[in-house]
Amino acid sequence: MNNMIEILNLKKGYNGVTVVNIPQLSIKRGESIGLVGNNGAGKTTLFRMMLDLIRPDAGEVLSKEKNVANTEEWKDYTTSYLDEGFLIDYLTPEEYFHFIGGLHNKNKAQIDSELVQFTEFFNGEILKKGKYIRDLSKGNQTKVGIAASLIQNPEVLMLDEPFANIDPSTQIRLKNIVKELSREQQITTIVSSHDLNHVTEVCDRILLMEKGKIIKDIATNSNTLQELEQYFSVLS
Amino acid sequence: MTLTFLIHQSKAFWRSKNTGKSIAMRIVMGILILYLLLNVLVVAFFIDRILEKTYPNQEIIPSFNSLLMYYFLIDLLMRFQMQELPTLAVRPYLHLRINKNQLINYLSLTSLGTAFNLSPLLLTLPFLIKVILPEHGPATFSAYILAITGMTLTNHFFSLWLKRKVNLNAMWMLVFFGTLILLVSLDFYFNLFSISALSAQIFKSLINTPLYCLIFLLLAGIIYLINYRYLKNNLYLEELHSADNSHKSSTEIPFLGKFGMAGDLAANELKLILRNKRPRSVTMMSLFFMFYGLIFYNRPDFSVYPIIFCGMFMTGIFIINYGQFMFSWQSAHFDGILVSKIKTKDFFRAKFLLFTMFSTISFLLTIPYVYFGWRVLAIHFIMLIWNLGVNTLLILFFANRNFRRIDLSKGSAFNWEGVGASQWILSLPLLLGPFIIFLPFNLLDYPEAGIVTIGLIGLLFIVTRAYWVNKLIEQFQEKRYTIAEGFRNE
Repeated sequence: MNNMIEILNLKKGYNGVTVVNIPQLSIKRGESIGLVGNNGAGKTTLFRMMLDLIRPDAGEVLSKEKNVANTEEWKDYTTSYLDEGFLIDYLTPEEYFHFIGGLHNKNKAQIDSELVQFTEFFNGEILKKGKYIRDLSKGNQTKVGIAASLIQNPEVLMLDEPFANIDPSTQIRLKNIVKELSREQQITTIVSSHDLNHVTEVCDRILLMEKGKIIKDIATNSNTLQELEQYFSVLS
Repeated sequence: MTLTFLIHQSKAFWRSKNTGKSIAMRIVMGILILYLLLNVLVVAFFIDRILEKTYPNQEIIPSFNSLLMYYFLIDLLMRFQMQELPTLAVRPYLHLRINKNQLINYLSLTSLGTAFNLSPLLLTLPFLIKVILPEHGPATFSAYILAITGMTLTNHFFSLWLKRKVNLNAMWMLVFFGTLILLVSLDFYFNLFSISALSAQIFKSLINTPLYCLIFLLLAGIIYLINYRYLKNNLYLEELHSADNSHKSSTEIPFLGKFGMAGDLAANELKLILRNKRPRSVTMMSLFFMFYGLIFYNRPDFSVYPIIFCGMFMTGIFIINYGQFMFSWQSAHFDGILVSKIKTKDFFRAKFLLFTMFSTISFLLTIPYVYFGWRVLAIHFIMLIWNLGVNTLLILFFANRNFRRIDLSKGSAFNWEGVGASQWILSLPLLLGPFIIFLPFNLLDYPEAGIVTIGLIGLLFIVTRAYWVNKLIEQFQEKRYTIAEGFRNE
């Protein structure tokens, strides 16, 4: 079983406009994918279909060879953070982590000890602050969402624009975390970003989307950043 | 500038994502308000007769005068409970080159458009025309109108000011209610002074010297200025937006821990109810329904129908009131629920857990009604079973068809967000169900058999619940994309 995720003939349109159209795409176990593309390229829609949040017009997303729309097994090993809609905002971060951990049969003590590794990442702004998640800043909410997906020990991790709202120090920490996940723990990561520097640094494979299609599929090398910059500057 | 604001607001209304539905809602709401105002008008028209009947030994005008102040006290209390603050709409304008004065004028002006400001005049005008005008002439008549308008405006701006104060510091609420309780107890228990005598005195002098009405207008002007200045000094986002900065602690509900995953989910939903304004006020309102029976049971010859009706409402009020908006309560994090490792079965089991918990509490609270006979309590219990068996399934059946997002932070009084066709259709089987079963038995003169049948059917559905829940889950799997999409639309 080499392919972690396989996409076949996936199509989605709104009001006659095609938003996503991917004939075939395979993602191997342990690959780290960077998803880039301008606004409206279809990145978030693709994420949502991979997470079975939107029903595709045609085609299917297979996770470990099973269609995500028909089974729920993928939820055991796939975790994600797309937006604040994934957070239960009237809970405190601690309650939320405990709840999420409980879904994977971890008790509170286990979760608390796992959260210790995020001390630096949280920078003292998340835990024991006596705030509900809804009262946190957007960047701190992102941190909660990312940490919540990591403590579930995923095999597949999907993050939509994780770098967008967080401060530079946290960005660097997050990059290190993602790198380590894919290189040392063989976790499949799919990260979208508008920051070309970040994705080329973190990911070994870049998918470039335009108008719902994947128009470039590049293995990252020293020229990738230049190549991408060229593509985006020509567009503008 | 105020005009531009108004144009923007009308655009916001017409261009909102669910405009079509909300227009329908507004029409329904408009009809409802019209109906209420019509009722007020009818009462107003006969107010002189009513006064005559209630206070046969007094002249009409003094008794009318003595009641005016009470009316405005109650009016103030109602406003405090139900009036909404028109605040968030100014948010996108705060950083622009617009005078604060203009913003505040806009806020004050638009706040005036509520039924609360219409009803005092509607209620008194017929009386004024019928009684005051012929007896004391046009000068006094206009003095009354001006005084009542002044009092209305005073109440209006005072309640807005107070609400903003309370938003920042809940102490003000205590002060307000403390003062009210003090006044009322001084009046009724200690007889130290009398609001009605004061009221009669004030309006008597108004009859003697119509120019006194200017005092009321002055009062309204002063309170307007206080509100104005307060807004001007506090027109900042964090202060308009009632941010509660107290320390939030993580809580556990050990009792629910026994129910595994479903218990955890129910605990989360309990926190949802306790920590968000709208579900909290919906649940609080359910508590008031516990007095529902008093209205019907107080009569000497009440039949079985009201007991069935009240029993269903009192034991099932949470299922009905809170359940009608399922799963909208969770609309803000519905995507999160779908992608996490939550079994749909547990998701549904959690709802039943919550329903059972609240309905049982409601039933326990209705036990004092045993005062009206054991029959009442027995029927309440049967209706509890009916609620748990039938109405839970009914509510969840409609929850699968509800795609409307709800903002948890808004109040629930007169809040129509999230209300759609499904709530109206839902109310039909909900209200009629038990009666359709009961009616034939009652006509054949076997009311007991009818009640027992209701209980048996309820029990049947409790026993076969697993089967129905599986059906619901199948539908949920089918509809979840539509539900999630609806919930994403703000």
